[in-house]
Amino acid sequence: VNDVTASTNIDDEIIRHGFLIAAEESAITVVKAAHSQFIVEGSDAGAAVLTRRGELVAQAAATSILHSGGIAETVRAIIEDYPLDSMVDGDVYIINDSYRGGVHANDVTVARPVVIDGRVEFFAATLIHVLDLGGGAHGGINAQAQETFEEGLQLPPLHLATAGVRNDELFKLIELNSRSPVETVGDIEALSSGTLVCSRRVEALVAEHGLDRLHGAVDEYLAQTEAWTRAEIAKLPPGSYEGRAVIDDDGINSDRSYDICVRVTVEGDTLGLDFEGTSPQVRAGVNSSASQAFDSAVFAVRCFIDSTIPTNDGVFRSMKANFPRGSMLNPEPPHPCGGRMMASYAIVDAIVEALSKAAPDRRIARSGMLLGYALAGISGNYWIHNSFDFGGTGARIGHDGADATGFHFGVGRNQIPQVEPIEARCEVLCTGVELIADSGGAGRWRGGLGVRITLEVLEDAVASIRTDHFETPPTGIDGGGDAMRSSVYIVDPRGHRTDLPSKAANVPVSKGCLFVLETSGGGGYGRPSARPIEEVARDVVEGRVTPGSARDIYRVEVRQDGAVDEAATEILRSR
Amino acid sequence: MAGSGSLPCAIGIDIGGTFTDVVLADETGVRAVSKRLTTPSDPAVAAIEATRDVLAKSGSDPADVQRVVHGTTLATNTILEHKGGRIAFVTTRGFRHLLALGRHARVESERFNLAFDLPSPPVGLALTFELTERIGPRGDVLVPLDEASVVTLAEALKPLDLEGVAVCLLHSHTNPLHEFRVRELLESRLDTPVVLSYDVSPETREFERATTTVMSAIVRPVMERYLRELESRLQLLGIAAPLYVMESAGGVLTVEAAVRRSVSTVESGPAAGVMAAQALGMQLGVDDVVAFDMGGTTAKAAVITAGRPGITHEFQVGGHGSFGSRRSGTGVPIRVPTVDLAEVGAGGGSIAWADAYGTVHVGPHSSAAVPGPACYGRGGVAPTVTDANVVLGYLDLNSAAELPDFDAALARQAIEVALAQPLGVSVETAAAAVYDIANAMMAGALHVVTVQRGIDPRRYALVTSGGAGPLHAAKVAERFGIARVLVPPAAGVASAIGLLTSDLRSEQVRAMHLSGDEVAANEVEIAFRQLEDQGAGELGASDDRVGVVAHRTLDIRYRRQAHHLSIELPDKAFSGSVWADAVQQFFEAHREAFGTGRPGPVELVNLRSSSARSVGRVPFRRPNPGGATATSAGRHRPAWSLAQRSMVETPILERSVCTPSSGARGPVLIEDLEATVLVPAGWSASFLEDGTTQLDRETVTT
Repeated sequence: VNDVTASTNIDDEIIRHGFLIAAEESAITVVKAAHSQFIVEGSDAGAAVLTRRGELVAQAAATSILHSGGIAETVRAIIEDYPLDSMVDGDVYIINDSYRGGVHANDVTVARPVVIDGRVEFFAATLIHVLDLGGGAHGGINAQAQETFEEGLQLPPLHLATAGVRNDELFKLIELNSRSPVETVGDIEALSSGTLVCSRRVEALVAEHGLDRLHGAVDEYLAQTEAWTRAEIAKLPPGSYEGRAVIDDDGINSDRSYDICVRVTVEGDTLGLDFEGTSPQVRAGVNSSASQAFDSAVFAVRCFIDSTIPTNDGVFRSMKANFPRGSMLNPEPPHPCGGRMMASYAIVDAIVEALSKAAPDRRIARSGMLLGYALAGISGNYWIHNSFDFGGTGARIGHDGADATGFHFGVGRNQIPQVEPIEARCEVLCTGVELIADSGGAGRWRGGLGVRITLEVLEDAVASIRTDHFETPPTGIDGGGDAMRSSVYIVDPRGHRTDLPSKAANVPVSKGCLFVLETSGGGGYGRPSARPIEEVARDVVEGRVTPGSARDIYRVEVRQDGAVDEAATEILRSR
Repeated sequence: MAGSGSLPCAIGIDIGGTFTDVVLADETGVRAVSKRLTTPSDPAVAAIEATRDVLAKSGSDPADVQRVVHGTTLATNTILEHKGGRIAFVTTRGFRHLLALGRHARVESERFNLAFDLPSPPVGLALTFELTERIGPRGDVLVPLDEASVVTLAEALKPLDLEGVAVCLLHSHTNPLHEFRVRELLESRLDTPVVLSYDVSPETREFERATTTVMSAIVRPVMERYLRELESRLQLLGIAAPLYVMESAGGVLTVEAAVRRSVSTVESGPAAGVMAAQALGMQLGVDDVVAFDMGGTTAKAAVITAGRPGITHEFQVGGHGSFGSRRSGTGVPIRVPTVDLAEVGAGGGSIAWADAYGTVHVGPHSSAAVPGPACYGRGGVAPTVTDANVVLGYLDLNSAAELPDFDAALARQAIEVALAQPLGVSVETAAAAVYDIANAMMAGALHVVTVQRGIDPRRYALVTSGGAGPLHAAKVAERFGIARVLVPPAAGVASAIGLLTSDLRSEQVRAMHLSGDEVAANEVEIAFRQLEDQGAGELGASDDRVGVVAHRTLDIRYRRQAHHLSIELPDKAFSGSVWADAVQQFFEAHREAFGTGRPGPVELVNLRSSSARSVGRVPFRRPNPGGATATSAGRHRPAWSLAQRSMVETPILERSVCTPSSGARGPVLIEDLEATVLVPAGWSASFLEDGTTQLDRETVTT
């Protein structure tokens, strides 16, 4: 345990926290200034401070772990195209190129050099999913794209502002290519505002501590983080561990599934991640850009080492990953990357499976997948509800899975927009956000539940969705049951239900129809009949398990008043 | 009792976990102080005894008491110890899982934890109910309230023996009529208070509105019983003056307001300490201070920059992670303004213990008021930080009136048995370890509000208060390179004085969602006047509102932007030109905050009215009781030398006889009535005119 206050020199500590605060305030600024609901209601903004070489120094706490490495790589791409000595104070850059560190079209990075006495010393960078950059489907959720060009406007490193002067021509281009130009431009300006606040903070740190002191502290910080990470890796039993996960389909070729294969090698304090054997790139939206693949892999490894290690370049340096060129985790243009969430989940699942062999006490049943969707108005007044929700977490020894809070990427439900602001802006009426009884895999430890969201569409709209595992459910382990699968369907005013595939774009939803999303639960752990009777009874009282499942699967008879019928239960359990 | 010299005065009552402090003060400063052990089973007992005591000591007529202001940890304790009322939560059909789903944020340490558990909701599913009704986002009724379903609900709630019902219906901030009707129907059938989200937090975003309402309902019955009881017992003493309660942002509320908005008092006690530090800083012309309060049970730290304490607008009860209670999603959010402070569960009463590996720990358990530290002679056997300070010779409580059974030998014995013997060290060495560890823990709280906020504490002065603060402050300051410590007059009861340094305050808000071109001056003016009426009512102002100052603020944003900026309005009737000016100011504020502020379509979101009524602040001063001018006459006692690591004869000064012309160099102990100041070697003390003791670091060592 590091007694931070015992440090004899508190300068280092003040500087480290100074960078963290700069990133934190930057993220808060983006969220407050942004226009698209996806960002402002979900607090989902990435913000970071980087060295002049594009190494991550500090990031905002709310930054999705999936964006940490992506931000750094895009900043390095900017440096490649614009030499540092050409940059001046007030320059601002934008990029989303998936093949140069980007994620997908809508995840835009904005970066601003922090210039001190004419020299670039740091970068301030921000990243959010901006509302719409064109492409084949509203909100950038084009699960039918066969090429990256169908996913939205591609942006190489470009000046968003030059020496403080806004690049109006670029904004005009973006406006013309967006279905919601006001929000999208507002989002991009919010990204720029975030970098401005961040760079002011960093300038204040320079004024307070001096450049030499600041650079010294950063070098030390990154080196210490690397040493700490390596010391943690060295605690894992040495060896080579394999894991595999499957993506059900790609949304275009319905007969094809995809494998993500990993071999994790622990040797002393080095950790290697080799994805040889992974399926080749495909002309469908299930590939992942290399930066996203790396971030996903780092996330999974960090579930097996000290969780208090700070996130900076020191962590990245201590792991080596091989994503074969031309595989779906390092695709070449123009293979689309917009559906990288599927690949990310599979990477995390495969690594967790592999490292669970090294640390069996951390085994976890598979978790439900994130379900991304967009509903957009097409009858005049444009609106778009672009959102997602989580599946349940898989069960682990000693823990039921968390309801509707997937573990991948470590984000929580604070990322999900609330109903009141959605209804204030979009022509939808939400008639329920409910946990789904029996959706968690049964087990000694029960999987977390999925959630059902019901949206009545008040104007003609189109829906797009992008997720996976409508076919194969999140599986249980050691006798634990599988979870309920996800589904998405439309119910028309006559009550007729139409199920949608897991990857769909621009499906018409007429006024008066219900658009319903159900996320899957998490798998169970251990035999359900080993679950203590009182825990089953509590699940029934709280509506997490139905009385029928309690009887048939858990072998517990719970009466209508919530009390356990002990005699009947004894008979059920003795069978 | 009532002397002819009796003057209008005010009483401050600060009830902490260990001590209840009461001060009586007037425009000249503090006239009487009383300290009592808190009576946890009925906190009013100690408060009333101490109040009677200050009246007697000062020779005041109870009829001359103009106001009584109370700081209480009741709301916090009620929530954290789950001692609140058993309540039901009622919401719109389809949203029964609103609280269970929650908006939890996984902070750093949880992010990579595959086995994380979601926190349990403040009201479980078994006590959550739905009603058939629906209001739309613009206040339109989409589904009329099914009154039969409310009647059925009342029947279902009747046998549950509830102490409250929290109601949060979707979009009720835009149209509260369904909530009003639900309350009417439930209250006519149940003997249970019904708390509406519209009354507690009439702003958008249903989750925070719901949790604020729920917390209010949970705290309210406990708060109401307690305040009514205290009020009537004060009346029995002959005090007819109104009782007020400090709220979390440092303002002061009437009892009615404190009951109705009971969650606003969640940081009442801690806010009083911060107000004390702010008042002392203002009085001495020091704008940047760190407030450090160490009482019997907890220690708190807060930063006051340029004379203003940091305020957060959403407080996370039980919040955690590196940003503590201001990090969204880490606890149960309550949407009330709160002083930004950090708290550690370590005070004079914290119990010290050694683990199997010989490491000494302090806390988290506290001896509290019952039984108290071993040396209090009230049956406590576990050694506490106070016992260590007694063993080290820092603290001599032989003359403390509130502790008639004080016995220093009991402190020695407790440390000997629990620490020195198991560790195989001398009693003094063990006590010194406790002192050092306590300092490290205090430093943790300071760390959160300074270094972790990116604030360099070295340019701040440390203002210390609480019974234990002045003994630890200099050593805590040293850890951060803070070179000046200010110990206010009557430091041991400074929070009670802080209660008397604030204005009465009331904040009102109303959601009014209009696009810029829909803003009608007349409608806005009427709404503002209604808010100002409510505010004046809460402040107990007379009809002519003499002494009440109201400020108007508009929350404005760009069309289709989701977050707003608050723009202050001039003190005149709302009109088209006031609106036009406000919009211009919004563009400028936006440019200032975000770098861009181009003119464009805007929306009005909320109206806010802030009313204050000045009640005559008390100066931070304690007129010299003895008026003596002689320096102390060479008293000494053995005390632990932090430099020599042994007991050495150390000079003792009486604060009451120290004058601005005298000074002292550490090591020296300065005894005041309610606290002792430790001036370590390397520090010097000077004595300011107002009674403040100022410590300055003489040499900078590393």
